[in-house]
Amino acid sequence: MASNQLVKDPFNVIITGVGGQGNVMASRILSNMLVQKGYFVTIGETFGASQRGGSVMSHIRISSHSTWSPQVPKGRAHIVVTLEPIEAIRVLANYGNEEVKVLTNTRPIYPAGVIAGESAYPAIEEIEATLKKLSHGVWLIDATEEAVKLGNPILGNIIMIGALSALGDLPVNRDDFNAVIRRTLPGDKVADNLKAFDMGAALLKN
Amino acid sequence: MKSLLSGNEAIARGAYECGVTFASAYPGTPSTEITQELSRYDGVYAEWAPNEKVALEVAVGAALAGAKAMAVMKHVGVNVAADPLFTVSYTGTNGGLVIVTADDPSMHSSQNEQDNRNYAKFAKIPMLEPSDSDEARRFIKIAFEISQSFDTPVFLRTTTRVSHSKSVAELETPVSPDTKLKITKNPSKYVMVPAKARERRVVVEKRIDALRNFSESFGENKVEIRSTKFGIITAGMPFNYAKEAFPEFSFLKLGMVWPLPEKLIRDFASRIETLYVVEELDPFFEDQIKAMGIHVTGKKIFPYTNEFDPGIIEKSIRGPSRERKIFHVPDLPARPPNLCPGCPHRGLFYVLGKLKAFVTGDIGCYTLSFMKPLEGLDSCICMGASIGMAHGMSKALKEEGRGKIVGVIGDSTFIHSGITGLLNMAYNRSDAVIVICDNRTTAMTGMQDHPGTGRTLQGAAAAELDLQALAHALGIDNVRVINPFDIKTSRNIIKEELKREGPSLVISRAPCALLKSNSAKGQPLEVILDACTGCKSCLGLGCPAISWKLLEDIPEVVKKKSGKQEGAAFIDTTLCNGCTLCQQLCKAQAIKKVKNHV
Repeated sequence: MASNQLVKDPFNVIITGVGGQGNVMASRILSNMLVQKGYFVTIGETFGASQRGGSVMSHIRISSHSTWSPQVPKGRAHIVVTLEPIEAIRVLANYGNEEVKVLTNTRPIYPAGVIAGESAYPAIEEIEATLKKLSHGVWLIDATEEAVKLGNPILGNIIMIGALSALGDLPVNRDDFNAVIRRTLPGDKVADNLKAFDMGAALLKN
Repeated sequence: MKSLLSGNEAIARGAYECGVTFASAYPGTPSTEITQELSRYDGVYAEWAPNEKVALEVAVGAALAGAKAMAVMKHVGVNVAADPLFTVSYTGTNGGLVIVTADDPSMHSSQNEQDNRNYAKFAKIPMLEPSDSDEARRFIKIAFEISQSFDTPVFLRTTTRVSHSKSVAELETPVSPDTKLKITKNPSKYVMVPAKARERRVVVEKRIDALRNFSESFGENKVEIRSTKFGIITAGMPFNYAKEAFPEFSFLKLGMVWPLPEKLIRDFASRIETLYVVEELDPFFEDQIKAMGIHVTGKKIFPYTNEFDPGIIEKSIRGPSRERKIFHVPDLPARPPNLCPGCPHRGLFYVLGKLKAFVTGDIGCYTLSFMKPLEGLDSCICMGASIGMAHGMSKALKEEGRGKIVGVIGDSTFIHSGITGLLNMAYNRSDAVIVICDNRTTAMTGMQDHPGTGRTLQGAAAAELDLQALAHALGIDNVRVINPFDIKTSRNIIKEELKREGPSLVISRAPCALLKSNSAKGQPLEVILDACTGCKSCLGLGCPAISWKLLEDIPEVVKKKSGKQEGAAFIDTTLCNGCTLCQQLCKAQAIKKVKNHV
């Protein structure tokens, strides 16, 4: 059993984005960081057709004493981490509340309708204003941009995990990440992932 | 030891722990990972079958030889396997036989939402339903115990939320599989001619009676009494939601969802004033419990459609007054799934969308091309339907239909259930053109091999199906192969085949962009702003890497090529993999390879 009490129990995290951004990977890494500390974790996710560039969402429910169902009840998310900015708004529409904190990557991925010129993608300032209105706090992270600098845009998901850990609401740190990443990834990828994690933590603190 | 496992991983683990040595499956969301995971355990033989009917027949044979065998499929796969299913219920199994059906409430990845609990009752086969990963691991073992003690096939039903959610499961030491298998002849039991089937028919009814008795004391039908005022009868994932919403209620959680324990239900009902039945999809329990003369509330307040969550159950019972505060958010552009950048289907469906043809479609990633801007597909019913439907339309329309009917089907789907349709076209001769989108994998479910790839589930070399030779053998004389990344040639060849009398087959062949073995990924492309005329031709591909910006939103000063130009196209080089389709459509030659790209 986990020794540390959580701020809320169950603590509900939603990680969202677009299929192919490493959403599932991010939720598994975060969950394993918590499981190795003795927390009960349930991950709810759907994959399949939604992999193909559609909206994807993982629900992570964390408890120090029991297992919860894999779906966060509507209106009861505590933290929303999003790899694509408008997906944050989509999630808040269903799971938002006055206390929720939002960490969002700033790089848009345009849906087919936007590409075809049939619908407009809101400006990032507009997205930020909406998110602020719908939440307790918003952190904008240039995760994809920084990941490209590190040599691989897919590391954006790890940057977001780094930022989430630095936020301090969940009992996870760099050592937990290090342990999980060494177990799950081939050795030559560990250094880049640690760099990405640190980058995320640094971006949050700025 | 404990481990964070998905329901699917847990089923594979449980199967391994109880000595399952044999599995056959056709990939289908949300069931696919079960067979993949199981194949990695020592001593297990697992294979991809061409379809679910074959998978079940293979498993029936293995069980007849005495093995513990599994056939794994998604809910609609059971429709394909239904023929052997109903009769193996009569013969019984000798060894152990479990059929995993993974249902998909909410249709996350499916064309319908059928409730396969009905198959249990229909085929007279007992069914277990776990509610989390640890139960999934334990229930598959129990399913094999029941199969062997009652000489019956057994269903294990999951839903997407059980299959794809991860929760902590115990890991136990595996037992050693039974290695003493042998051939046992017993024609009275295994030859289902009418005279013998009539005898087995009686055995089936006796077996159900025995299973009903068993279910009364089955340890996984659990009663939790907390309140005498309110109680819930439920099973599977909805148990977790109901318990979260109403922890103070009494519960009867059914681990075996068919046949039902009538005495246990009567006893539970007699202790509770107000009783609810919480079940997703059909009123399967509700109808049976009401037929026992017990008053329960079910679909009168709970939805028939889609999966539940704790909020839906709470709202249904307490009423709308408990609804949460609604947040008003601005209209957002919808984000349906889309074909990937560099997808070989994009070029083909761009061409098909421009033809004035009716395109009968099938099940696969390419079904997504019905959407704007490609609009290259006009129907989707089930695996293999494209070919039969194209033939039927062509025959019904006669001369009117000539040159206007195309059927498209993926390589894996064609092997699954398109071959007989194509044979029918050759035999009964219609004028439609069939296109096999041969991307060298089962892409939609996550890159599984099939007989056309020449690789087994384990990645070993296998006989590779030759689609051209097969088509010729079926009696299709006109067979053409195109590269869908070449728009002009593809368009010309399809047009030629549409003009021709009699059936034609076009094989549109290029590997899936996500295949690890795909070495064709090119250098990304970029738009030369000073050359782009803003004609939007490239946007007609619906490629996620290409976007559009108005001139006033572009930081650089862009030279206008005409008074009408309002904006320019952009390519996200982190997404583009250089398939060149957009370059082929660009009349201004404004799309070039990125220089010095690493």
